[in-house]
Amino acid sequence: MERARIEPAAAKQAIFEYSRKRGALAVGIADLEACERIAPQGHRPSDLFPRVKSIIALGVGGQTQGAWQLPAKAMAYSGSTEARAYKIAYGLAFHIEQKYGAPSVYVPPDLDPEGGPRVPLQSLKLHAELAGIGARSLAGDILLHPEFGFMYYASVFTELELPVDAPLAENPCPAPSCVSMYRQIGRTPCMKFCPAQCLSGEIDAEGRQKLMRYDMAACAELTQEYEAVPKMLAEAVQDEVRTRGAEGLLDPDRKMLWYKVSAGSGGWFAQCFECMRVCPVATRAPLADPILRSIKT
Amino acid sequence: MARGLTRAQLGVTEAMLATFGEAVFRMSHNLQVREGDPVRSLDWREIERQREAMGLADAQIAARLGLTREQVMFIRNTEESRRFRTGQHAYLLDLGGGRRYRPERVVRLEERFAYSEDALRLRASFRFDGELARRYIEQGWWADDTLPGWLARNAAARPEAPAIVFSKEIVSWKALEERVLRVAEGLRRAGVARGEVVAVQLPNVPEFVVALLAICRLGAVLSTLHMPYRAAEIAALVRHSRARAAICLAQGKDGSPADAFLAVTKTVVALGPRVEGCIAFEDLEGSPPLARDWPAPVAADPFVLLYTSGTTASPKGVPHSYHTLLSNARLSVPEHGLQASDRILSAAPFTHLFGLYALFCGASCGAASVLLPAFTPADLSTSIQNHKPSALWTAPAHIAAVRAQGLFDKHDWSSLRLAIMSGSACPPQLVRDFSEKLKNCAVTQLWGMTETQGALYTRPGDAPEVHCTSAGRPSPGTEVRISEESELQVRGCLLFPGFYDNAEANAAAFTPDGWYRTGDLAVMDAGGNVAITGRLKDIINRGGVKFNPVDVERLLDSHPKIMQSAIVPMPDPILGEKKSFNTCWTRTSRGTSCPKSSWSWPRCRSPRRARSSRGACAFRVPVSSASAPSSPVRPRRRPKPPDWAASAPGPMRPGRRCGSWPQGVAPRPGRMRSGLKFP
Repeated sequence: MERARIEPAAAKQAIFEYSRKRGALAVGIADLEACERIAPQGHRPSDLFPRVKSIIALGVGGQTQGAWQLPAKAMAYSGSTEARAYKIAYGLAFHIEQKYGAPSVYVPPDLDPEGGPRVPLQSLKLHAELAGIGARSLAGDILLHPEFGFMYYASVFTELELPVDAPLAENPCPAPSCVSMYRQIGRTPCMKFCPAQCLSGEIDAEGRQKLMRYDMAACAELTQEYEAVPKMLAEAVQDEVRTRGAEGLLDPDRKMLWYKVSAGSGGWFAQCFECMRVCPVATRAPLADPILRSIKT
Repeated sequence: MARGLTRAQLGVTEAMLATFGEAVFRMSHNLQVREGDPVRSLDWREIERQREAMGLADAQIAARLGLTREQVMFIRNTEESRRFRTGQHAYLLDLGGGRRYRPERVVRLEERFAYSEDALRLRASFRFDGELARRYIEQGWWADDTLPGWLARNAAARPEAPAIVFSKEIVSWKALEERVLRVAEGLRRAGVARGEVVAVQLPNVPEFVVALLAICRLGAVLSTLHMPYRAAEIAALVRHSRARAAICLAQGKDGSPADAFLAVTKTVVALGPRVEGCIAFEDLEGSPPLARDWPAPVAADPFVLLYTSGTTASPKGVPHSYHTLLSNARLSVPEHGLQASDRILSAAPFTHLFGLYALFCGASCGAASVLLPAFTPADLSTSIQNHKPSALWTAPAHIAAVRAQGLFDKHDWSSLRLAIMSGSACPPQLVRDFSEKLKNCAVTQLWGMTETQGALYTRPGDAPEVHCTSAGRPSPGTEVRISEESELQVRGCLLFPGFYDNAEANAAAFTPDGWYRTGDLAVMDAGGNVAITGRLKDIINRGGVKFNPVDVERLLDSHPKIMQSAIVPMPDPILGEKKSFNTCWTRTSRGTSCPKSSWSWPRCRSPRRARSSRGACAFRVPVSSASAPSSPVRPRRRPKPPDWAASAPGPMRPGRRCGSWPQGVAPRPGRMRSGLKFP
């Protein structure tokens, strides 16, 4: 089908409007070349979608102010709004194909089945950072936005060529209050209150990030139950004395895991939110509050 | 694993895992370090320089290490799995909702909640009848009582009210709570964990109370050792209780208890001068306070392990939970008429459950505890005059001693309005005399055992003769019955679950339908008041301190010059009864002789000659005896099986717990000792 020449800037504008209309707070186009250069082999956009021309990254809002007050176990459920981001990206891929005839794909946010539980197919974080809708924080490189705070991200790969956006000019992390705290006790709130103590770092004299250390293994132990399942299975089979083998799998504390497996309850913790809960940018960014957001946008 | 291939297909060996595991783990995304903000600023030089620090993909690691990507994937996944500790997500359940993680207060989850094998062993001994437990809960007898809970409640409701009165020192509930939290933290840092036993041998000093409450706050278990116990008893009981730590005096009357404890447990806290190898109690008090969110014990948790008899010989450890002891205390406080404004003085040591009962009742209603470190008639009397307690926990021996020294008239005892006497036989005349001296004081009697705490007691409003002649009626939540053999049997919310680690004792202690066999003979009057009339068991009760004769006999028998020994009780006007080496046979070159200290054994049947395996002459202590006019009391230890049919009928004598020892009573014939030791 012969289509009229597509104006990239106009298409970009239309795509942004489409996304925002459906709930995206921030949308940007990442530099494909930079992404290809930074991402390791096997995880580059072209590894997944060989004729990719553009990477569209979008973010949806995080939690209400009330949600930040929930216990961590409840935050794991009510705080998970990533499904909304995926839904917008999914629809956007269809929209681009229908409107511009350019093959597009909603980037699967899933883990690489070959890589194990800690390796994603693509780094949505890298896409969003290069698209200028988030910057790496001291909290394990979780992205923060100066206006929207903490967001969930999704990406679309398309054969449509779109003008790229630049990464954020300034990193909102650390916030002035965090710098002040660091000057006093040598830690920022996220470092202090991380229950796994997996975060540490340094801030330079100008109040910018100097060093970020993230112990992902410790973080995973706390937050990622799905890694616990095979470990528990192995322990139960080997630990014949204490738990009498497989019978141990029916211990009440372990039984809950099997329940989640069988019921697919979505109880796979992916984060504990404690670093974000105490982050002034994540929770107190100007438009992080959905009520303020609705007024201002 | 990688691409669904097995370890063998990938060529990964254990040696390869050992060689590359650490490198693969560290080079991967598991540990990430980033300097500056190179990606956002697209600083390509820095991005390349920091690639490895920020975490490499498997293919990149493979290239660095000279492995295949699949091998790296296999090694990484194996390494991640091996390092992964399950159960860490349980931390999440403690977070959020206003509860912030504080690293300075953090104690690893496994340390906070994991029970040691010893702790689990003790917990496993707690088994109650399910139907009875349901009833106790429905009736409200078993509630959420815990000592830390009561302490917190009193500290919040009456922070400045006195909790402890000791000499010139008054400790408020608030101050007590602060001291308790510091000592609890000190004990935690010393290695005491939830569910573990801490042996305590201290007099009635504030540090005992602080230690008790601190142990409870940690969720640990208190095991008391009586002050007269020395190295042998300490070693035996600490081993049996598997105590993780001990708290004791740095210096005792005749040596250092701390040294005795150090021989059997690694962690010893000494009160007093510093002792090498021990932690000073004052250091514990200098610790920062235990985190407020440290998991508090619950009512079903064990919290005391007491020893009722037998030290070196088959110790009988009595474990109790908050359910059993504190329900009894809470339900009994109104029966005793106690309230927050009271001051309770216990003449009984806190190493006894009777003494602890005074503390529990005080904590239950918020009353202050007046502490008397060690009983002497004069100290008790002056303490009552100076500190004006309104309630007194005492033993007949105490009151008899005070009466004998005429101290009722010398000091002012008028502050008392309740006196509870327990622990040993209580002569009716003593109760009458005591009541006569204290016109405004209800002199009551209480019968209890380490296994039950306050099972029977008379109430302040009872008729005077009830106080004199009976141990009263069952406490709320307690049922008693008298068997066909006249044995008092007890059941109820206060009853311990069974002896710790002593199946033999448990088999004998309970009836098939779950009643506890007290070993005391009793009668019940029409009003439901129970009078104790005798004793089935052979423990010697010396003013409330119980001795197993077998312990003493074994010690004596271990002496090279002693061939055989037997211990029987003798009456004592103060202590009720005391042990005596009544038959102590020495081995000499000429045969055997009877030591001067023993009573006139030749008046009894002469020892029978027996031939030892070496062919030398030996003598055996007779296994049966006839009445000896000079014997002050019948041999108390019963034969197996009893041979009452052969006994001459004698007058009914009150038992040692609740009656008198009339002088000149003809001893009931019986065997001197069980046939178990002397076949």
